[in-house]
Amino acid sequence: MNEKPRKFKGGVHPDDSKALSASKPIQDAPLLEKYTVIMHQNIGAPPELVVKKGDAVKKGALLAKATGFVSVPLHAPTSGIVSAIDKCPGPTGLAIPAIEITADGSDEWGSPFEPIADWRQCPPAELRQRVADAGVVGMGGAGFPSHVKLSPPPGKEIDTLILNGAECEPYLTADHRLMLEQAEEVVVGAAIIARIIGLDTAIIGVEDNKPDAIAALEAVAGRYNVRVQALPVNYPQGAEKQLIYAITGREVPVGKLPMDVKCVVQNVASAVAVADAVVRGRPSIERVTTITGKPVVRPGNWRLRIGTPIAKALELAGGISEQPAKLLLGGPMMGIAQRSLGVTVMKNTSGILLIAGDEVSLYTSEPCIRCGRCVEVCPMSILPATISQAVENKRFDWAQQLNVTACIECGSCSYVCPSHRPLNQHFKWAKVEIQSKLRKK
Amino acid sequence: MLSEFLVITVGAILVNNFVLSKFLGICPFLGVSKKLDTALGMSGAVVFVMTLASLVASLVNRFLLVPMKLEFLQTLVFIVVIAALVQLVEIILQKVSAKLYESLGIFLPLITTNCAVLGCVVLNAKSAPGSVQSTWYGATIYGFCSAVGFALALVLFSSLREKLDLARVPKAFEGTAISLITAGILAMAFLGFSGLV
Amino acid sequence: MDTALVAIVSTGAIGGVLGVVIGVVAKAFAVETDERIERVGELLPGANCGGCGFAGCADFAKAVVGARALPGQCPVCSPDDVRNISQYLGIEAEQKEKRVAVVRCSGDCANTVRTLYNGIRDCRSAVVVAGGAKGCDHGCLGFGSCANACPFGAIEIRDGLAVVHPELCVGCENCVATCPKNLIVMVQASVDVHVYCNSPEKGAAKRLVCKTACIACRKCVKAGEEGQMVVDGFLVRTNYENPPTTDLVEKSQCPTSALRLASKHAANEYQGAAK
Repeated sequence: MNEKPRKFKGGVHPDDSKALSASKPIQDAPLLEKYTVIMHQNIGAPPELVVKKGDAVKKGALLAKATGFVSVPLHAPTSGIVSAIDKCPGPTGLAIPAIEITADGSDEWGSPFEPIADWRQCPPAELRQRVADAGVVGMGGAGFPSHVKLSPPPGKEIDTLILNGAECEPYLTADHRLMLEQAEEVVVGAAIIARIIGLDTAIIGVEDNKPDAIAALEAVAGRYNVRVQALPVNYPQGAEKQLIYAITGREVPVGKLPMDVKCVVQNVASAVAVADAVVRGRPSIERVTTITGKPVVRPGNWRLRIGTPIAKALELAGGISEQPAKLLLGGPMMGIAQRSLGVTVMKNTSGILLIAGDEVSLYTSEPCIRCGRCVEVCPMSILPATISQAVENKRFDWAQQLNVTACIECGSCSYVCPSHRPLNQHFKWAKVEIQSKLRKK
Repeated sequence: MLSEFLVITVGAILVNNFVLSKFLGICPFLGVSKKLDTALGMSGAVVFVMTLASLVASLVNRFLLVPMKLEFLQTLVFIVVIAALVQLVEIILQKVSAKLYESLGIFLPLITTNCAVLGCVVLNAKSAPGSVQSTWYGATIYGFCSAVGFALALVLFSSLREKLDLARVPKAFEGTAISLITAGILAMAFLGFSGLV
Repeated sequence: MDTALVAIVSTGAIGGVLGVVIGVVAKAFAVETDERIERVGELLPGANCGGCGFAGCADFAKAVVGARALPGQCPVCSPDDVRNISQYLGIEAEQKEKRVAVVRCSGDCANTVRTLYNGIRDCRSAVVVAGGAKGCDHGCLGFGSCANACPFGAIEIRDGLAVVHPELCVGCENCVATCPKNLIVMVQASVDVHVYCNSPEKGAAKRLVCKTACIACRKCVKAGEEGQMVVDGFLVRTNYENPPTTDLVEKSQCPTSALRLASKHAANEYQGAAK
């Protein structure tokens, strides 16, 4: 049944350190006193507040409604009182508005949605609306609203649905555990998404370092006409374009979307959220997050509610055994370094990673020696060395000519660079500058 | 006949490249090679002026200076002819194509005093009597090919200099110093063509 | 003798013929040009800073002559220069006050909390990574994007803080857009009293990360005359319509020294918080 997957160009093999948490079953986090739900959790327009300070809300009640198509609503992680609407450090380091909910302890559902048990009969439009109402976003990291991906514009034909279970980021095991323990939900979610976009089959791509998850999925996949595809371990196998290539052999052109090559990709955690929203009528208010790293006393996987402060999440994992040097949201390759513990769990927080002092080194960036390793590993086939030199000299026009915008910021180039050049940061910077120049025009 | 044209062409463009082996026209070679765009503009202007100057100067030489035995006036007359020619081109361009005039900008007047142009017409005038180069069409082709050689060197060099922008150059070599070193290496590379004709 | 005569005559003839040809062609292909453009260009500073919004001084001269711009739009020109140009063109010289840039932050390394940052030394790049390495979200990152943009060397990076030297600043506004934190504003050069803080956070939150933040204690508001300092949320600002006198800084005894004289700030005469 399994076709041999294709190998995309480039990629690296960092030490995955997944053993820290891969064998730890998902635990439900106990109810906390306070949750701080960050307002803007998705790519696109921020939602608009519908509650005010002092309002009593039930679990799952609407806190903020979507504004426009590329926007998702937010729901209350528990029942309680809206105790403050204030600023809170966001994942990018800048303060953004957040809703603080003080729990009343009853954790009572407000049941905002009717469960749709016979989703096989339900019209796709209704299912899609449910996904939008439940506020499901891409939970792999980007936070792109799922319903937008599931609404291909007229004329765009879709023939393949791929579920992304590659989890190629080192350290992270949240999706792994999810596929192992909730295989049925993953597959049901896949089948529902397939129905929404008018397909009757789906492919789940899983890196072959998770044989137990593959076996668990395969045990149930057949019943829903879903196929599991084992993929070779190669970072960034879980990047959308690389995944599409590995499974279908289609290349997404620069500046185009997966739907331009008739594909839709969804994260497995998003599929579970979709299944939850449809079958159980629950909005997206929790997610499985890996809390890991050498300084963490009991690394593992927890089902955390949206709005859980990082500090509290770390307490769940037994606290820390030594002063960490770095705190990352996400994995070590693409995760965003944080400078405070005040950040809270968002819909796309796949991992909370602490790095110990003896695991990081402070390098000074040296001149490029033109060894070409970055070019070899770049999965997007751009020229990291040249672009980075252009950016260093503020030649953003040149960087643009060299297609810096195609960069997926996987960090493979920075990982292999023997001169410790901040290649990834150069590209992020160039993209920001190019964007702001476009806006000026 | 044809082989003689081939010798002129290959010789003027590669082997006896004006800039890199005759060391004529070094000023614009260094001055306007910072950006590929300006280098292309300058190259266009030089090709135009040099071809025209070769033609006119060879006619003046053949029908005026030689019959009147005034060969010793060659340098003087050629300078006057070239200067007048450039002036004419400039005036006409300004009216006919303001855009081209603006993009050539300062380059046109620069060419007036360009030794490459004068060198080219003097070489034509000094060529062995009876050779192809001494005829008016041979001189024109030689002028054109020399200019193309100049353009080639200029474009190559400006591309190198654009790349140099990205390089980390030791403090002492920054700016003109590294450009001259690069030019030297480029000239050495062109030495590889010697013996081709 | 003969040869010399022939040479002189023929050279003269060639020169004469060419001269006539050029003359005729120049007449035939004459292009209207305005000599005033060149003259105005000479009167302009020639810094080509682009502060006027045009592509360099020559372009601005064209715009001024074409009455599409006023000479006063050049931020570098002194009032005398503006008067000269106006006189030359015979237009009314408008009054123009010199404007200078102010970086509204006083949080140098000694006074602020900073996280270790080992990335690219450029503010616009640092802000992409976790918003920069400063404890304060709104403060100067101090990697000098503005200093690099200044064609006049008027911005100094001192201990991780951009400091404008008002006497060097000509008001070209090149720095304003480069600051990713939008800290730089243009104000009249005659005003010397500024609040060197731009954080809208609460006072207590600011004090946690910065010793020299404005905590909106309003001492300066009370010390000055009515309306000279205005309160804006958790921040006090100079009212540039009705500026206070320089002795306000002395009188108000700002507890965090966020209230400063631009001249003394540039001369590094403030050493952080009083307490």
